[in-house]
Amino acid sequence: MRGVLGHFRELDSAVDAITELKHARLGDVTVFTPTPRHELEHAVQPPKSPVRMYMLFGGLAGCVFGYWIPIWASNYWPLVVGGKAIGSWIPYTIFGFEVFVLVGALSTVAGLFIHAGVPRLTMMVGYDPRFSRGDYGVWVECPPDRLGSAEALLRKHGAVEVRGER
Amino acid sequence: MATIAYEPRRPNISSANVQLPAVRDYEQVDDDIIATLRPTKAWFLMLMTAVACLALGLGAFLYQLHQGLGVAGYNPPVMWGVYIITFVFWVGIGHAGTLISAILYLFRAGFRTTIYRCAEAMTVFAVMTAGLFPIIHLGRPWKFFWLIPYPNWRLLWPQFKSPLVWDVFAISTYLTISTTFLFVGLIPDIAVLRDRETNPLRRRILAFLSFGWRNTEREWRHFARAYLFLAAVSTPLVLSVHSVVSFDFAMAITPGWHTTIFPPYFVAGAIFSGIGMVFTIIIPIRKWFRLQHYVTINHLDAAAKLCLTTSMIVGCAYLVEFFIAWYGGVQAEQDYFWNRVFGQWWWAAWIMLTCNMILPLTLFSQKLRRNPAWLWILSIFINIGMWFERFVIVVPSLSHEFEPWQWTTYSPTWVDYSILIGSFGWFFMWFLLFVRQLPVVAISETKEIVPPRVRHVHVHTPEDAEDFEPQTGRAH
Repeated sequence: MRGVLGHFRELDSAVDAITELKHARLGDVTVFTPTPRHELEHAVQPPKSPVRMYMLFGGLAGCVFGYWIPIWASNYWPLVVGGKAIGSWIPYTIFGFEVFVLVGALSTVAGLFIHAGVPRLTMMVGYDPRFSRGDYGVWVECPPDRLGSAEALLRKHGAVEVRGER
Repeated sequence: MATIAYEPRRPNISSANVQLPAVRDYEQVDDDIIATLRPTKAWFLMLMTAVACLALGLGAFLYQLHQGLGVAGYNPPVMWGVYIITFVFWVGIGHAGTLISAILYLFRAGFRTTIYRCAEAMTVFAVMTAGLFPIIHLGRPWKFFWLIPYPNWRLLWPQFKSPLVWDVFAISTYLTISTTFLFVGLIPDIAVLRDRETNPLRRRILAFLSFGWRNTEREWRHFARAYLFLAAVSTPLVLSVHSVVSFDFAMAITPGWHTTIFPPYFVAGAIFSGIGMVFTIIIPIRKWFRLQHYVTINHLDAAAKLCLTTSMIVGCAYLVEFFIAWYGGVQAEQDYFWNRVFGQWWWAAWIMLTCNMILPLTLFSQKLRRNPAWLWILSIFINIGMWFERFVIVVPSLSHEFEPWQWTTYSPTWVDYSILIGSFGWFFMWFLLFVRQLPVVAISETKEIVPPRVRHVHVHTPEDAEDFEPQTGRAH
């Protein structure tokens, strides 16, 4: 798909451009920003991140595994002490908790990678090293007949550089 | 048209202001922090010193392997000594990193932004150091993996009711999560380094380590959510790890150990010692790397208040221990505490009380809280005091148990001291290598507290507008 990239020096210019691009429905908008800004998030209006579900289900799976291992091992090789439970859930809560945290956190990172699309071997079209420094980029992916409108809109809002890419 | 509102900011006066008045824009953040990555002669000198200390410790450990544990200063029944003391000391140091990066993140404490990377790296290297000591303490250290539950030919499993196995799980989970937390936070900063790097080989390495991070809004959105949840699970993890370490002691029916106050007492002590080490590291770094306008006096002031608070919690725990011994009415406990403070181990107990309870009270003075030289000197006292706290917990209890005929003494040998020095060498070697390869101040998060460049500035009050510079969003 072809598209057009607008390069902005100021945050509010980028926000204005994104708001109007979304309103005009010219195409999919991707924003590059050196640091997360709530102004951009409000303009883009993205869906909620599902990463929290990875924490929930990963953590629950870890917790179950963390309890299961010592209970299973205690029953498999019982160390019988008079009047004491062979599989004692109170000390095993330590394993349940630790493995909950371990698997939950690692699942969260996996969720981040899956949904953010990293790791990736090649840089995406339109990426410019200046976007990690201090500038903002707005990449609009649209059919050829709308490229001109998108370019005009980006220039109107103060893009210092506009270029077409494919 | 979007108008972005900013409060005019005041200069770096004594206040709770944790913003960075001397940082103009995002580009300056990149330039200043990337400049810290250039090696200097002083850095090489310190690295060589750290490696020399490590070599000394390694030599002593090899000697101990050859000769056996008898060359360490163990004197039955004092069979826990410098190695266990140093293990607890380093685990404690490792707690401040996650406290600063996770707990203060959840509390939205702004002063953490410029110091948390340093504290996180310190955590990872401190836990790496701590993990060595239970292994050094083993008679046959090459069998350490027997503590890990894995399917094996003899169908043997560890004793899951043993606090030592709890330790294995707690410490290894903590190391994994701390490392993950550090690395995930580093990804956007490595991308910044990648984009600024001119050396093609280094650029390729950084491109690999940054996982192709592109700073898209989508990446940041998932990143922020993942970071929040990592912080949320790291918070109880911090509290659990040192609680589990305290169970190593509290589960034993030994005077001075068998008490329910140990988990909160250990956690508070760990955070206190960790903040001490943060001061020990961050104050020279801000001076040598000229980062005074990032790690400002206001940041140090806020961290010093945290240090004072934890010191008072620790001091309270010390006093409550005495109260429990008196109120519990157990003769062995009372004798033990008397022996600890006025008997055989008075010198160690008073070093602990002076360094951890008395000297930190100077932080009630705002002038001293805002004096980096004093904070650094105090941090050294805190490090010493916290090592002695663990000495006072471990040695006096074992040397003064129930049976008077068992009462004995303990003197560490040169092997103990050499391995202790080696642990500092190991820790600082990794830390020094880190500060030369990766940013010691978080670039992306620092940018979050620097006002972005905007075309149209809206200020809150008309009188503020007179003193406002529209191009930079900054007060004159």
